[in-house]
This record gives sequence, C-alpha cells and structure tokens, in this order.
Amino acid sequence: MAMSIDHGRSNDEAKLIARSLKQDSDAFGQLVERYATVIVNVAYRMVGDRTEAEDLAQETFVAAFKALPRFRAESKFSTWLYRIATNKCKDWLRAKRPGQAVQDVDVDEVLDDGVVAEERTPERLLSQQQVAAQLDRAIQRLPPLYREAFVLKHVEGLSYEEMQEIVGVNADTLKMRVYKGRLQLSRELAELKEA
Amino acid sequence: MREQDLLIQRFLDDDLTPEERVAFLQAMDADPSLRRRWLNLELVVAEAVQLPRLAPSARFLAQVQGKLALAPVSLWDRLRAMVTAPRTLEWNFAGATAAASVALVAVVGLLQFAPERIVEAPIPASGNQAQTASFAPGQESKVYVRLVLLQPDARSVSVAGDFNGWNPGQTKLERSEGGMWTATIALKPGRYQYMFVIDGKQWVADPLAEEGAGDGFGAQNAVLDVAI
Repeated sequence: MAMSIDHGRSNDEAKLIARSLKQDSDAFGQLVERYATVIVNVAYRMVGDRTEAEDLAQETFVAAFKALPRFRAESKFSTWLYRIATNKCKDWLRAKRPGQAVQDVDVDEVLDDGVVAEERTPERLLSQQQVAAQLDRAIQRLPPLYREAFVLKHVEGLSYEEMQEIVGVNADTLKMRVYKGRLQLSRELAELKEA
Repeated sequence: MREQDLLIQRFLDDDLTPEERVAFLQAMDADPSLRRRWLNLELVVAEAVQLPRLAPSARFLAQVQGKLALAPVSLWDRLRAMVTAPRTLEWNFAGATAAASVALVAVVGLLQFAPERIVEAPIPASGNQAQTASFAPGQESKVYVRLVLLQPDARSVSVAGDFNGWNPGQTKLERSEGGMWTATIALKPGRYQYMFVIDGKQWVADPLAEEGAGDGFGAQNAVLDVAI
C-alpha cells in the first residue's frame, strides 16, 4: 500500500508547528520535508503534470506557512495540508482546464448507472507496468471530483472520515464519487483489450 | 445502482458486516459474471495502491524556503496564534461549583451594579437629554460594559478577548466584597468573544454570557454583543 501521511500528530510535529509559528524556517523546513512527497503526489494525481504539481505543492506549503496561525488543532496537520493542496489543485483546474467541470456533477449524466464493470479481464492481456501506466492516464480522464475522491481513497489510502474533513462533503457523497471513479477506471482498463 | 453492484461497492469500502461478507463471497462464487466484475474493480484498487510515487525534485525544498522568505507571517497573525494556541483548562470540583453558583449570585450582583451599560456619546453643547444618541459625524461612540464574575477563591481575575488582543495581562478585574470581581470596559459596538482568566492560568467562559462560540479547541468562548 502506498505510504500515506503520518496519521498521528506527534509531539514532535506539534513542536515543529510551534517553532514554525515563531518564524523558525528550519522547523517549517522539516515539516515540508516530511510531507513534500505526499503533497507533490496528490497534486500530480490531480493535475497530471509533474512541473505543475511541484509548483502547486510549493504554493500549498507557502499558503500553509502563512495560514499556520489559523491552523486549529482539531484537525490533523496532514489533513489540513491535504485540504489546502486539493483546493489549490481544483482552483488550478478551474483556471487552466475550464472544460473539466470541478463543480459537483450529476453522476447519472456522466455514467449510466446501469453500466457495470467490464467482464473482460485486462490483467490477462497487460503487464502490471502497462496496467499502472494506463491507470495513471485513466485517472487523469476522470471528472475532477471523482479523481479527487478516488486518489484520496485508493492512492493515498485515507479513510472516508478524513476525506470528509478534506473535501468538505459527506461520506455518502464521497463513496458515490469513489464508486463512480472505480467503475470508470475499470471500464477503461477493460477497453485496453480492444485497443 | 443494482443491488449486486451496491454489494461490491460496500465490500470494496469495507462496509459489510462479517455475515454480509460471507454472503457476498458465496454470491461471487456462485456467479462467474459477477465475480469477474468484482475482480476488475479489485484490480483497479490494487493497482492504484501500487502506483509509483514521485520524489520531489532536489530543489523543491530550497524553492519552498525561497518563497517563504518572501511571504513572512505578519506580526498580527503571530500574536493571534500565541493567544489562541491550545490551552489546558484546569478544572476542579471547587472551581466548577463556584462557576455553577456564580450565575445565581451574579444576577443579584448585576442588579446591584445597574445600570450595566452606559452609552458614552458626545453631547452637543446645546443639546438636551433626548439628543444623547445623536452622534457627531466621525466620532465613534462607545458602550461601557461591566463584566462580573464571582470567584471567592481567586487571587486575580482578568479578561482576555477580541477587544484586547486576547492579552490576559491587560484588563484586570477588581475584587469587591463577597469574592465578586468586576471590570468596566469601553467598547465600540460590535461582537466580541472573551474569557476570564483566573489566577493567570485557568480560562473560563463567562457563565452569565448569553451566547457562546466554539474556540476551535473544544471549549467555548463567551460572546458579547455590544450595541447602542
């Protein structure tokens, strides 16, 4: 399983946050190092471009540093970072790819509810590397809100409770988005057989 | 969503009870078509977990720190962070009892201290009493608000809130007979949050406040609406 953000807000982390609040750039640097990989990867899965992902991740950390005085301990620091990062990515998608609806979509318009996962078995036809590469591309073709939900759930390995805090919608909606995402990805991988 | 698809969905989300899982697996065993659909979805999940992770570039951290140097946190934000940092509220039975009883006693106290609010407004030289609510342009009126807390055992009581930068050392209450602590402060009309600080360490919301607001750490600040 992919490594997700450290879910325990350790004393060490609390100390780093406290030091960062006093403009200790070394302390905030340690927080950046700790979460850089996670945030860069979330951004990459959302926007599909490494350079843009790094820029967005940097913006995330700068925004977090500036907003640190308003960080409330009621949510985990990692959750808070995820929220900033995903919002940055959605803002970026709205600005750069206006054709990709970021607003909540009517799932029935995007996918026929009657559509079920393909019965073909792509794993027989493709190597794992090929499947991973295809899956990577297929994730980019998901509607942004399905993509966000799928990435947080299955790439980052977060719980629906954490996702609720990050995305700001209820678990049932998130489950539906994840379900639709899985379904579309399954169908796309199956179509590789014909390709 | 079909019932079978719903089952698959719930299985993938680990939402099934042990009994439902058994029934689900038996259904998959009995229906090759359904099993294939389930396995294809499982494949997506399994592959997603194993997607390669990017490593941030070598210059990533340096670039972030370079940007941070251009975006320092303001003094105000730091001050706000300092006074709104998580605090441990110390409670004991005696304190809780005193806080619980303060409402009753302080109601009596408030009656004694009436009038509670005094509008301080510029009065035109030729004006009369009826004109005290007419304010000259550009001059801000204030309302004197008396804060009252009964804490017989306290050695000091102060108030920290939006109106004094949450500085517990700035506005101290004075002790009067019976362990009543009071302070009268002049506030512009507005909405303020505040807490009393007993002996410099115990933060308590005003038990007489008509309204409370979460402070973000599980406790409640008192809310004061000041209007003329």
